[in-house]
Amino acid sequence: MPRRFLTAEDVLRASGGEILVDESTVVTPQAQEAAVARGIAIKTGRGSWKEPPPDRGPDAELAPRRPPNLPEPSDDPRLESAAIVTAVGRNRPGVLAAITAKIAEHHGSVNDVSQKVVEGYFHMILTVELPQGGFEGFKTALECMGNPDDFAVRVMNERIFRYMHRV
Amino acid sequence: MSFTDREILETIRMVELETLDVRTTTLAISLLDCADPDLESACEKVYAKVVHHGKNLVRVANSIAADYGVPIVNKRIAVTPIAWIGAASGAEDLSPFARALDAAADEIGIDFIGGYSAYVDKGFTRADRALVDSIPQALEGTKHVCSSIVVASTKAGINMDAVARFSAVVKETARRTAKDGGLGCAKLVCFANAVSDNPFVAGAHSGVGEAETVLNVGVSGPGVVRSALARLGPEADLLAVAETVKRMAFKISRVGELVGREAARRLGTTFGIVDVSLAPTPAEGDSVAEILELIGVDKTGAPGTTAALALLTDAVKKGGAMASSSVGGLSGAFIPVSEDMGMIRAVEAGALSLAKLEAMTAVCSVGLDMVAVPGDTGEDVIAGIIADEMAIGMVNHKTTAVRIIPVPGKKAGEKVEWGGLLGTAIVQDPGAFGCSVFHRRAGRIPAPLQSYRN
Repeated sequence: MPRRFLTAEDVLRASGGEILVDESTVVTPQAQEAAVARGIAIKTGRGSWKEPPPDRGPDAELAPRRPPNLPEPSDDPRLESAAIVTAVGRNRPGVLAAITAKIAEHHGSVNDVSQKVVEGYFHMILTVELPQGGFEGFKTALECMGNPDDFAVRVMNERIFRYMHRV
Repeated sequence: MSFTDREILETIRMVELETLDVRTTTLAISLLDCADPDLESACEKVYAKVVHHGKNLVRVANSIAADYGVPIVNKRIAVTPIAWIGAASGAEDLSPFARALDAAADEIGIDFIGGYSAYVDKGFTRADRALVDSIPQALEGTKHVCSSIVVASTKAGINMDAVARFSAVVKETARRTAKDGGLGCAKLVCFANAVSDNPFVAGAHSGVGEAETVLNVGVSGPGVVRSALARLGPEADLLAVAETVKRMAFKISRVGELVGREAARRLGTTFGIVDVSLAPTPAEGDSVAEILELIGVDKTGAPGTTAALALLTDAVKKGGAMASSSVGGLSGAFIPVSEDMGMIRAVEAGALSLAKLEAMTAVCSVGLDMVAVPGDTGEDVIAGIIADEMAIGMVNHKTTAVRIIPVPGKKAGEKVEWGGLLGTAIVQDPGAFGCSVFHRRAGRIPAPLQSYRN
C-alpha cells in the first residue's frame, strides 16, 4: 500500500532537498509548512505534490460500477431532470404567461399544469421537463421571479415526489 | 409521470409547515491509518484526514438541500473511536486528539464531530483508560467534539468498573463546564449495545466493520407524524394510528434515502444507512411527546405512555424498513427531555418522572437522553441510574444510552437553559436513596442467558 501520510516529523527527519511521496499521499498542513521552512520540495513521480482527491476506500470504488445503484421508485429515465413548480399569489392577468415564458427561456417543457383561483389568489402547479443539467439555473431563475407583493414561486426536483409518493 | 395536486401539496406542506427535514448527514471516516507512535504526528494525521475527506461535506449537503427543497439541518463527522488510534502513542492524556478533531471541525464548518470514544463493555486497555480519564479535559477545551463510551453489551454484560468511572467523569465534566450549566455533559454519552453506524451525536462514531468512508443519514419528522395523527382524530382505533404513523414514516424515510444516496454519490463515497428515528427539536410542534398525547395519553408520562411509545417506535421502524433497505443506526423514537417542548411541559406538570422515563426507554430507540439532575447528585446515584438503563439494554438486546447532566448549583424543579438545539430542562429529582454498596462493589455484571427468553 502506498504511503498514507507525510507528517512534519517525517519532513524533519528527511535528509536532502526533496522528499518523494506517492500521488495519493496526504501531506499534512504541518508537513507542508515544515517543508517550506526548510526549503525541501515534496515531489511525486510526476512532479510537485498536489493534494490528491480523497481516497474513499475500496467500497466507494465499486459503487459507481454497480448497475444503476438501486432501482428508483417507478423508474422513468425521461424524468431524470424534471421539476415541480408551484406558485401562489395575488391573481392578475398574465401571471401564468409570465411564469411559462420564463420556463421556455430555460428550454423547459411543461408536461402538466393545474391552476385555481380562490378569492383573488391563485395557486398553480406545473410539472416541467428540463434539459440535462439545467435544474440549478432554472430553479434560481424561477424563484427570483417572485416578490412579496405579487407571488412566490417554489421549484423542487421531481425525484423527491417520486420517492415520497411512489413505491 | 404525473402527481396529483394533493400529493404535491402534501410534500410542500410537510416541508413548509410541519418542519420535515433531514436532521443530519454524517460522514463516517476511518482513522485507523492515523495511528502513530508519536502523539503529535498522530494528531496531525487525524486533522489532515478529517479535513481532507470532510471539506466538501457542507457544500454538498447545501447543494442537495437547494435541489430538493428539503432542509438538511446538520452536517457532521463521525470517526473511529480515538482510543484505538491513540493506543499506539502510549500517551497518558489523549486530549490532544480532541483538539485536533475540534480544529478540523472548525476548518470544515460543521457543528459536531463524534468519536472521542472507547469500547469498554468487557474491560479497559491502557488507551481506553487514558481516553476515559481525559474526557473532562477534552470536553472542557473543545466546542465540537462529542464523546461516547460503550460500557455494556448483551454479549459481555455490564462493566460496572466502567460505569463507576463514567459517572465520575460525568460529575467532573459538569464541574468543569459549570458556567454553561454543565453543558459539557450534553456531549457525553454511555451506551449498551452501541451501533457502529449511528449518525446522531453525541453517540456518532465509525465502529467495527465500517468501510473507509461512509455517508449516513438521519431523518426526522415528528411534526409530520403529529399533524397526520391530528388529522386522523381521536375516533380512529389503534390499528389506524399505527397505519398512519407507518405511512408517514415511509415518506419521511424515503426522503432520507434519496438524500443519502445523492450525498454519497456527490461526495464519491458509499451510502451507508438511513436512521429512521423521530428526532424532536425544541421547535414548536416538532415533538415526540405531543405525538404520544395525540395517540391518547393526557400528558406524556401518564399511564399508557409506554404502550403508546411502543406502538410509535414499532410503526416508525416498519414504515422505514419498507422505504429503505439500508435502515440502520438507532431507528425508532428519541425522547431527549430537554430538546422536546412536550416533554418539558410534561415534566413541569409533574406527569413525567425519572422512573417513568426509564420505563419508556425499554421500548424507545435510545435511552435516558438529556436528563438534568441536581448538581449535588452523588456519584453512586448517577452510576445506579446508568446501570439500570444499561441493564434494560443488555437484557433486551437493544441499544440504550444515558446522557445525564448533573447541573451544578441547581436543585430539583429548577430550570436550566442550554439554548439552541439542546433546549431547556427542568432538573429532575432522582429520589432520596442511593446505592453506595452496589456502587462500591464494582466488577462486572455477567452477560445474560441468551435462551429461555421470557
